[in-house]
Amino acid sequence: MISKLRDRNAAALAVAFFFFGVGAQAADAEAGRVKAQVCAACHGNEGTSSDPALPSLAGQPAQAIAMQLYQFREGNRKNPQMSPMAANLSNADMNNLADYYASLKATPPKHQSSPASKASGPDLAKKFNCSQCHGPALLGQQHIPRLAGQQPEYLRVQLKGFKAGTRSDMDGNMTAAAQALSDKDIDVLVDYLAGLGAQ
Amino acid sequence: MTHLIAAAIAAAFAVPVLAQAPASPPPSWHQGKPPAQQESTLHPFAPHMTGRSAKDLPVNTLKAPEGFKVEVWTDGIPEARSLALGDKGTVFVSNRNAKSVYAVVDNGGKREVKTLFTGLDAPNGIAFSKGTLYVAERGRITRHDGIESKLDSPGEGKVVVDNLDPNRAAGHFWKFLAMGPDGKLYFNIGAPGNIVMPSYMEASIMRVDPAKGVLETVALGVRNSVGFDWHPKTKELWFTNHARDWLGDDSPNDTLHRVAAKTVPNFGYPFCHQGDTLDPQYGKNRSCAEFAKPALKLGAHIAPLGMRFYNGKMFPAEYQNNAFIAMHGSWNRTTKQGYNVMRVSFDDKGQPKMQPFITGFMTDEKADPPMWGRPVDLLVMKDGSLLFSDDYNGILYRVSYSKK
Repeated sequence: MISKLRDRNAAALAVAFFFFGVGAQAADAEAGRVKAQVCAACHGNEGTSSDPALPSLAGQPAQAIAMQLYQFREGNRKNPQMSPMAANLSNADMNNLADYYASLKATPPKHQSSPASKASGPDLAKKFNCSQCHGPALLGQQHIPRLAGQQPEYLRVQLKGFKAGTRSDMDGNMTAAAQALSDKDIDVLVDYLAGLGAQ
Repeated sequence: MTHLIAAAIAAAFAVPVLAQAPASPPPSWHQGKPPAQQESTLHPFAPHMTGRSAKDLPVNTLKAPEGFKVEVWTDGIPEARSLALGDKGTVFVSNRNAKSVYAVVDNGGKREVKTLFTGLDAPNGIAFSKGTLYVAERGRITRHDGIESKLDSPGEGKVVVDNLDPNRAAGHFWKFLAMGPDGKLYFNIGAPGNIVMPSYMEASIMRVDPAKGVLETVALGVRNSVGFDWHPKTKELWFTNHARDWLGDDSPNDTLHRVAAKTVPNFGYPFCHQGDTLDPQYGKNRSCAEFAKPALKLGAHIAPLGMRFYNGKMFPAEYQNNAFIAMHGSWNRTTKQGYNVMRVSFDDKGQPKMQPFITGFMTDEKADPPMWGRPVDLLVMKDGSLLFSDDYNGILYRVSYSKK
């Protein structure tokens, strides 16, 4: 896909094709790939992180990536590493990066969930309404990120941040959802989600 | 074996956990979802906060009636929502999540987008009158006098009225704002959820004299209006209203309303929807007879937003005093509808009739998402052309007419 997009004619054809698809993005994934070279230091080659505290980006919905880059740039979401990275990105840069990472296939996670988490995780994801927005398979949709196979310590920090009301939240729904989570719930959900294999 | 034991322990453990600990509240748009629809995967659509470039979108597939042309006026205004026109031709653009207000200046066909304000709290409502830009945020309205002469350094505004969102509830907290022919600012205060009993001020249209800051109620029982205007001849207020979700694909209708009475009409929410349909919960032991009726049913979940009367000089004579409505489009419907600009004309008796005007944003009524753009608000320009905004992509379109 990416190599084909290097050819201008193929790119034009691809764009023309996208016009008749629904929800297809026509931003420039190849430009995103070039821009993403600096991202690989933390997010891994091909968007698969090997650090439990840093999120994988491969296979995330494009809109979810663009949304978070936007939140970092606007100062709504803050992080010592990411805020400066996003500060100088244009909207077009963000769309291109988003398309590049969305075009990559998520690799099956290395994390192995405990049998206990595997058993109770699906019920917790339903009880705490995770699947209502992140989708039945927790693969994310539109601006909502994929949770399946995400790095565990990253997930834990986000959930605790939502619970504490310190993590940016476009519409308040994640902050509200996180209030009912106990530390034990977070442990189980994180262990379950991090090991959830690619579909 | 170890795994089996662990799973058994986990299963035994999971039951009391589920029984005792409180569950998370569902997302706010789920409120009122009946048990029969618990498995529904319908969900709202979020705008592209980084916008999308018009060159990447099938804008040439938009359709307009014969003689009309629709084109991109400018892109690159992420989440473009409400529109207002300055005396000197500045087009002001608001948004809901992006916390900003923009000014678009037309320098001889080359349009420049300036960011006027940032860091606002859901500044969806904007209105321009006599040199002043008014901005309605979630909880207050501010005024910015002489704005068009200081677009590069607008400074701080003055507060007209505040405490408009005392409950800080989820739901419909963003406001539409317009200046009435009586010199008062009109705005909605939406219901704090899909189907809930509103507290004081909520589910209403209010007005305030900017010189006094005293609120007056204009209409009650209005779940959420995000568009209104005054008929150019009768000077009566007309507004669009969003009906509740989760009662099925075809009921209740979103509605168009006329405020004719000198008294304050109540349009029924949360007891009665579309003037004739009792709510399954709040409507028990009630009758729709006690509530004012809508002027027109627009379609279920179609999401009417901006509504403006046309009194420009460019369109054919039969368009005079017609209304245009921007349909943001349905999410709470298995087969989607809307995502277009509709025209409302009136017969000899003043009865409204609706027909499509600009279509083509929706490409597959069964897809998720079904559309590539979503109309929000409309603006009649000085030359009689019609602008409309698309918050999904951050684009303004211009509709013009010429006799061939």
